[in-house]
Amino acid sequence: MKPKTIAVVGAAETTRMGRIPDMSVIGLHADAALNALADCGLKPSDIDGVATAGASPVDLAHYLGITPTYADGTSVGGCSFMLHVRHAAAAINEGLCNTVLITHGESGRSRVGAGRFGGSASSLAGQFEMPYGPSGPPTMFTIPVLRYMKTYGVTEEDLAMVAVVQREWAAKNPHAVYRAPLTMEEYLAAPLVADPLSRYDCVPVVAGAQAIIVARPDRAPKGRPGVRVRAHRASYNYDNQEGDGLQTGISTFAAALWQEAGVRPDDIDVASIYDDYPTMVLAQANDLGLIPGNDLARFCRVTIGEKRFPVNTWGGMLSAGQPGGHAGGLNGISEAVLQLQHRAGERQVKDARLAVTTGYGMTMYRYGGTAAAAILERVE
Amino acid sequence: MSGGVTIWRCANCRTGYFPEPLLCPRCHGGKFDVDRVHEAVVEEISIIRHMIGQENWTPRRIANVLTSSGPRMTVGLRDESGPGATIELFEEGTAPFGRAKK
Repeated sequence: MKPKTIAVVGAAETTRMGRIPDMSVIGLHADAALNALADCGLKPSDIDGVATAGASPVDLAHYLGITPTYADGTSVGGCSFMLHVRHAAAAINEGLCNTVLITHGESGRSRVGAGRFGGSASSLAGQFEMPYGPSGPPTMFTIPVLRYMKTYGVTEEDLAMVAVVQREWAAKNPHAVYRAPLTMEEYLAAPLVADPLSRYDCVPVVAGAQAIIVARPDRAPKGRPGVRVRAHRASYNYDNQEGDGLQTGISTFAAALWQEAGVRPDDIDVASIYDDYPTMVLAQANDLGLIPGNDLARFCRVTIGEKRFPVNTWGGMLSAGQPGGHAGGLNGISEAVLQLQHRAGERQVKDARLAVTTGYGMTMYRYGGTAAAAILERVE
Repeated sequence: MSGGVTIWRCANCRTGYFPEPLLCPRCHGGKFDVDRVHEAVVEEISIIRHMIGQENWTPRRIANVLTSSGPRMTVGLRDESGPGATIELFEEGTAPFGRAKK
């Protein structure tokens, strides 16, 4: 994509998060969408592009009375929304549209209109994994987590630092579902879901939605710093599921991402790293080059644990919750925007100017097959 | 139930895959020979203790294994074999399983 030509000009979430039994999924999308429009002073009629996963972008357009010239229904798990930003940037630069609404919402906890748990029997996982037990990422990601711990000498205490410190951030986020402090002892004593993942390694499913507005930087509200996309890269099916899961697709483009952005990992002020599990935060951070010497354990203990390097400052999905399914990729982008606009309230990172955001997902067979990352910058 | 697990070998470059791809990711060859792999070494083991939406779930063991023919795969483990153990592979339906070698 063309660097620095596109900005995220508005960001918001549903008015409520957690249990919302009185709203349908499309209603959640719409509520977040209207809040995002209000956030940047735009009207539904200003929107000519709609992107979403978990619902049809055309359904959402209909529900909001919008007649867009661009729609994107890319649905590749937790990476979907990072890709919506990428596609929106390309579409705007190509003249297909000017202002794109990106939403995601699910009734994950309230399960309004939800079907049964479990994947399709005809999927790769349905044919080759589900017959012996696994169903969904909390059971399938156990293998790469174990491999990470063995290969990099990461202990449960190291992984705990990710969850414990994110809970500290969540305490400053009034919309987080878990806000009470999480101690190391509580983390280590939590019941196992699937070895070695325990309750606090897994994201709490909530009902809610997020929305952002992507446009040219001059659509940002007057008097508010814009948040420009400085660089963006993505990767799909990078190793054909043949590897050992120790790397993500980010490893294939990290160098190009930093080069395109013209900054280095050391320059980053705040990071939104897709956190479906603590280990995946480490995997992506390592692939991005945020962890010197591949010393994942030190990154947990020192960089996060002692120095409190700002990772997932809204509490991450691990504490703020994941609205089910495709979920959290949009939360991280939204938080990075708030941080760079210095609107993150109690959890504001001082003088934040550069953020990295990632998405990871589309569990195909064994592990995730899609990854993306972007460098966002504050523009006065 | 049958002995071994089916893998698919690219007729051009001989790389083995599980499950079967349409095209070989290495050479994009489109022809595959059916082969069977009978043994593997256990690398990691997990126990699935809870399953969302299931009330009477029985814990199940799964393992990441390196097969004697090359491809890594995840299998259901039917006994208490541990990391480093050589196991024999078998199929139930389309899914791969393993147990201690007799």
